[in-house]
Amino acid sequence: MVAKNYDFDERFKIVGIKEIKKEEKTRKEGIRQRLEGKPVISAIVLTFIVLACIFAPVIANHDPSEYYLDALNTPPGREYIFGTDSLGRDLFSIMFYGGRTSLMIGVLGAAIVTVIGTIYGCISGTSGDKVDSLMMRAMELCGSIPSILLILILTAIFPAKNVFSMSIIVGITSWFALARIVRSEVRQIRNSEYVLYARCVGGNFFYVMKRHLIPNFISSIMFVVVSSVGACITTESTLSFLGLGLPLDILSWGSMLSLANKALIMNTWWVIVIPGLFLVITLLCITDIGNYLRKEVNRRPSNL
Amino acid sequence: MKVVLKYKRLFKKILKRIGTFLVAMFLLSVISFGLARLAPGDPLQSFYGDQLDTMTDEEKEMARERLGLGDNVVVQYVKWINNAAKGNFGISFKYKMPVTKVVNPLIGNSLLLGITAYVVIFLLATVLAVFCVLHEEHFIDRLICKIGTILYYTPGFWLGVVLVLIFSINLGLFPSSGAYDVGKANDIANRISHMILPLTVMIASHLWYYAYMIRNKLLDEVRKDYVLLAKVKGCSKREIVWKHCLRNVAPTIVSIMAISIPHVTGGTVVVESVFNYPGIGGLAVESAKYHDYNLLIVIVLITGAAVFAAGLIAQSINEEIDPRMKERSAIKW
Repeated sequence: MVAKNYDFDERFKIVGIKEIKKEEKTRKEGIRQRLEGKPVISAIVLTFIVLACIFAPVIANHDPSEYYLDALNTPPGREYIFGTDSLGRDLFSIMFYGGRTSLMIGVLGAAIVTVIGTIYGCISGTSGDKVDSLMMRAMELCGSIPSILLILILTAIFPAKNVFSMSIIVGITSWFALARIVRSEVRQIRNSEYVLYARCVGGNFFYVMKRHLIPNFISSIMFVVVSSVGACITTESTLSFLGLGLPLDILSWGSMLSLANKALIMNTWWVIVIPGLFLVITLLCITDIGNYLRKEVNRRPSNL
Repeated sequence: MKVVLKYKRLFKKILKRIGTFLVAMFLLSVISFGLARLAPGDPLQSFYGDQLDTMTDEEKEMARERLGLGDNVVVQYVKWINNAAKGNFGISFKYKMPVTKVVNPLIGNSLLLGITAYVVIFLLATVLAVFCVLHEEHFIDRLICKIGTILYYTPGFWLGVVLVLIFSINLGLFPSSGAYDVGKANDIANRISHMILPLTVMIASHLWYYAYMIRNKLLDEVRKDYVLLAKVKGCSKREIVWKHCLRNVAPTIVSIMAISIPHVTGGTVVVESVFNYPGIGGLAVESAKYHDYNLLIVIVLITGAAVFAAGLIAQSINEEIDPRMKERSAIKW
């Protein structure tokens, strides 16, 4: 019945209202809407810092290993952009080399946390009740000791401090929270049919973990993984500041700040404030991105 | 009969708690002792320092024997725990005197700092959380959230150094280190002025973590139906949150307080060493630096004991105020 060359638009034309062309606008709105609620600023700032650390040799305008003895404690100025510290090092040049170490320890430490936490959580979650509660109790015990004390004992074990030993120290003392989350997630899915099937056809533990368990809980641990990057950077800098971490000649934001006590005596604020600001800004960016990955709970309107 | 049964059950419970505590302490001592003995670096070096180079092998052997370093690790551990039971924890390698004598005068200072910080943190956290809930989604709530997050993620040691730079070096308002000036140990005003900066750092770096937890819990609570009823009855917002919601959230706050103890204790370690505050936290860092394992083990054990005990107490309090938390529901072994 319908005529073939009937114009559908004409059929449904709304009369009496002015037609508004919106095409141009919707595209622009689309980008903005897509970015809304996402940590854009943090991502940009973090990218800048990471890029600056990667291209540290290009950015540095002084030799990072050189001690400018004729320019000790120079305030920030044209020659030394961030000033020099009490050893005569140019802060601007060593800042990004230090950032390399700090970020590296953060990423490596988080990787260690993730691997240990995931494996431990999976084993605990898939094994029987007795083994599971034993493993959980053991973990609770370790987790209830202030981690700084464990770290203090561990620093004594690794005599040579470098990026790798520091990552191990900060990594193996902070995986407890992750393991707990992984375990509770695994316990929810361990009895599902597909896991049972995979076991029956002969998939071993690591196959099941890789194929079925990890894809299921990866979204809920992303937040913990990202924020443990920040936690590892904080721990490393705290240790280096206390003189238990990296020595002065291995540059990191923490080891740069370990000169803070001298800087306090000389009252040279830039030695303390500038590396610290870099540290804090990096940490805040990482946290912001981590928070974005956190599962949002939708709350209904308040009763108050 | 009923009363007897009740006491029997209570007695059993207490026994079980003490048992858990002892097992935890035993494991902790094994871990810390084992790790400390595994560590490289000759303890004799830290005990004798440069004198070691002038000693003959025989003298070294005798010194090892005297310090209890001669046997293998298991024998060393058994000997050590035997002595520890008698209150003898060995000699501090760095201070060259019994560990207990080094630690004893400092425990009070640490407890003072730790407990004050702990109390203030939780009082402020509760007040802040309630304030945020009353002004949910308001500008002020968001502002507090932002500031809190920034403060929480600022490393404590850096905040401490910056505060010293501003308030003691440039403004000269507060002293930068120590717990009291020489000869003023009993002067309360003097002690307080020494504690303000460390306390500020402790509070700033822990407050928001807990305030945020309590805030989220309260936000869930104000969405419950009884709140609507109270509102219909004509209670004010403030009344509802303070009188009804907060009371329902109290068990959660107590559990948060329990799990926060290691966290806050860890904070005192950093703060004490930043401000050179004479406490066992700063001492722990010192002893790790100088490989003074005897001292380090004792500090770890003391802290561990405090943390475990506090955790068990918190659990008991929780069961008292909230019957749902009874052990029945816990995982069975």
